[in-house]
Amino acid sequence: MQSFLDSLIAQGYFAGVPTEVVYAGGMVVFGLIVVLGFILNVAGVTTFVERRVWARIHSRVGPNRVGPQGILQWLVDGIKLLMKEDIVPAEADPRLFRLAPYVVVMGFVTTFVVIPFSSALVIADMNVGVLYLTAVTALVVVGILMAGWASNNKWSLIGGIRSAAQIVSYEIPAGLSIFPIVLITGTLSFQSIIQQQGWAPHTWFVFHSPFTFVAFFILFTSALAEGNRTPFDLPEAESELVAGFVTEYSGARYLFFFLVEWGNLYVIGALVSALFLGGWQVPPVTDNLVVLNVLQFVTFFVKSYFWVLVSMWIRATLPRVRVDQLMTTCWKYLVPISFINLIGQAALMVALPHGSRLLQAAMTLLGAAILAYFFYRVVFHLRRARPELTFSPLS
Amino acid sequence: MSLAGYEIEVERTPGTGLSTEEMTLNMGPQHPSTHGVLRFVVKADGEVMIEAIPDVGYLHRSIEKIAEKVGYHGFMPYTDRVDYVAAMFCNHGWGMVCEKLAGIDVPKRGEYCRVIADEFNRIASHLLSVGTMTLDIGATTPFFHAIREREKINDLLEELCGARLTYNYMRIGGVAWDLPPGYAEKCLAFLDQYEPLIDEYNDLITGNKIYVERVADVAVISAEDAINYNLVGPNLRASGVDFDLRRDMPYSVYPELEFEVPVGRGEEGTVGDCFDRYIVRIREIKESIRILRQCFKQIPDGPVIAKVPRKFKPPAGDAHIRIESARGDMGWYAVSDGTEFPYRCHVRTGSFTAMSIIDKISRGLMLADLVAVIASLDIVAPEVDR
Amino acid sequence: MRKRTYVGNIVSTAATIFDGLAVTFSHFVRKPFTVQYPDRTEVRVQDTLPFRYRGILEVDLEICTGCLACERACPIDCIVIDSKKDPQTKAMVLTRFDIDLAKCMYCGLCSEPCPTGSIHHTPEFEGADYSLESLVRRFVKEPVIAYKPKKGPEDDPQIKPLLDRGLRYVEEFAQPEGATPAAADESA
Repeated sequence: MQSFLDSLIAQGYFAGVPTEVVYAGGMVVFGLIVVLGFILNVAGVTTFVERRVWARIHSRVGPNRVGPQGILQWLVDGIKLLMKEDIVPAEADPRLFRLAPYVVVMGFVTTFVVIPFSSALVIADMNVGVLYLTAVTALVVVGILMAGWASNNKWSLIGGIRSAAQIVSYEIPAGLSIFPIVLITGTLSFQSIIQQQGWAPHTWFVFHSPFTFVAFFILFTSALAEGNRTPFDLPEAESELVAGFVTEYSGARYLFFFLVEWGNLYVIGALVSALFLGGWQVPPVTDNLVVLNVLQFVTFFVKSYFWVLVSMWIRATLPRVRVDQLMTTCWKYLVPISFINLIGQAALMVALPHGSRLLQAAMTLLGAAILAYFFYRVVFHLRRARPELTFSPLS
Repeated sequence: MSLAGYEIEVERTPGTGLSTEEMTLNMGPQHPSTHGVLRFVVKADGEVMIEAIPDVGYLHRSIEKIAEKVGYHGFMPYTDRVDYVAAMFCNHGWGMVCEKLAGIDVPKRGEYCRVIADEFNRIASHLLSVGTMTLDIGATTPFFHAIREREKINDLLEELCGARLTYNYMRIGGVAWDLPPGYAEKCLAFLDQYEPLIDEYNDLITGNKIYVERVADVAVISAEDAINYNLVGPNLRASGVDFDLRRDMPYSVYPELEFEVPVGRGEEGTVGDCFDRYIVRIREIKESIRILRQCFKQIPDGPVIAKVPRKFKPPAGDAHIRIESARGDMGWYAVSDGTEFPYRCHVRTGSFTAMSIIDKISRGLMLADLVAVIASLDIVAPEVDR
Repeated sequence: MRKRTYVGNIVSTAATIFDGLAVTFSHFVRKPFTVQYPDRTEVRVQDTLPFRYRGILEVDLEICTGCLACERACPIDCIVIDSKKDPQTKAMVLTRFDIDLAKCMYCGLCSEPCPTGSIHHTPEFEGADYSLESLVRRFVKEPVIAYKPKKGPEDDPQIKPLLDRGLRYVEEFAQPEGATPAAADESA
């Protein structure tokens, strides 16, 4: 984006204005476009898509009355929430209570500064991009603790504390799983990491070595835990704590918390796709920059959204993990394994400084084999249950 | 003015710098996962529970007193409401106790119809129980799959007696409607379609490691405790006590039917944990399917109801019967004084006594486990409060 | 008691989650079970219900004999019938037949003893209304003479279909051995 603004200045658009102000103004405008045009819509549509995906898994039909196929359901839900009464509990801490949703939203929206939508569409390609992302998502913890404490409700407090412990713990395996990628590429900048991968699956970092393969799964699991998604959704465990730390929130403030939860899914998907799955890389089919960027944007969006769908699918399948089991999983399983991963990847890089085509091919074949076995099991279950089939997602 | 004699001793835990207090939480009558209107006052030290005191009575409807007003025949629809999840058993129990009071014999085909209705209802009730248990643990899908199958059973029972939940199918002396034509084929088609789905359900959730870790070794009830606290049904059998009324004190046509009684074996943890209570119910569904197939093969022709006068006046006296309901040993006791209104009627339900053991087994468990425990004991509020 | 090892835990977690995901993925291609009531069903739901369905009660006053068996059988006393013998014509006249649907619990005990099947359950279940008073169904608009069942088959073309349907409804109920449906009232 910086180069785009430079070209505008060279053409003489912002004559008397200092360049720093142009940059700042450009960032604000671009940020607004991203937030209003992209984040809100994607997070909103995700709520609708989640309900439809869940419904098909449950053998039922999701919302399909508001608008064609129910596509306007999320708008109507958002408007309904905005119209609700603004309740602040009498004994609650009024300033912290009101501030908490904004802190959480801040922690979420600022991650979009570094996410590369395509090779030219990124607000700021910082050279510490990955580190910035992991650091800024930790703001969410502060917001959740504030929400839990300020609600003056024991259940909210329990939810807030659980959530804080969870997010802080799972930062560690998440960070450790990103390190193998950093070791391979030698840079923390998102665009550089993506540029070092190719468009073909065997060039993606997930198949680079067995250690990155394991790191991929650990990163995805830890990111799910950081986003408070099942199987780690204790803070919102509906059946135990009513709604966890958001129990006392209603209307627009409640909307903010859930916007963050669903938007976070996209951020997780984007993070995983950018680091491990080749980001926006497309085969070089055209020279036209605009068309190329559009293709890259679409590819990146599809890859990220696929992981959003996968996390919805996982949420429908798995039960919830208990608090002590959550901590055990993190500290006794994920942290040691990610340490071993990191050391193994470092050792591998010392042994094979230029990578190994053989290892890449072997890992790609392994990935394909797992996928094939998965579809074999799906067909097995369909054969055993003999249900009525329908291949259309519409209803 | 001196304060002598007014000093108040403040207890402080010695040695520690900060003193902690335990939290008293109210898992109120309205809560997404207590099964019905139940209330628990929970004293917790952080996440670990110290005491969980149940508070019952929110769903009390004086059903036993109503019996004294509406008479023997008129009470049959009220028995549906004693346990509306498994209503056929309550109908059956009331029918049996009135027949015992008056010495009426039910014709053979009527008994078979009763057993068919009972076993379908047992499958439906267990489906709801395991479904809600998995829902409370956090998995949403198995609940919907279980409810989908329960809906199919409800369709079958709707064809049989006209209602989906409060059946009022049985009468004193037999049943009110015979099996409609073509019913056996429909039922057997449903059973053929449903049996592989039990294995699918097990693949989905029963074997799932996260689920097993949540329920195995949680709230172990030893066989001795189970007997002392008067647990019945699948709760008792899960603790290793091999006792089933259908086999050990048989009634109706159960002596002519072949079935096994699943007992908890402690496969994933210890005998008597929540997983055992869950898996015993899943296995009982399979056994009920077996019983149903035999019933449809062996059912004889004939009348389904005995001749019972419209003004039913049993001789003065009392009668007590026990029936193996979905939730265990349901006891019906009726006292007659010679008129057409019972003098007293009492139901002894399995969920009521299961409430009494919750305080004992929840010491030292976490709040999340309390939900698993209540769900695994298959407590339904209408049975507790009547 | 299963022994749990570190590697065993990891392997079994991965394996069982894999199989669970396969089961849920297979549901994406299965037809949903939902019946999209009330506007996207192929036929009206009321027409798919079985004949024995215990929906809202209805009374065919043309074939009501005024025997009051239903009023006696109802455990909630939601049926109120006023009938008296007219001293001149010696015919039974019904002046009131009210069923309070708000009290009715759809148990079916009233339709069982009816000799002609005039009180019966219909497959109708949509009875919600805005006022409680409208839930008391008053079936008698002006006093009617009760129906007297004929010795032979009924030949009045207006009454015959009602009587056929009513008798078919009553015959669904099980009868003890040796009894016929019309021999209702055996009071001790």
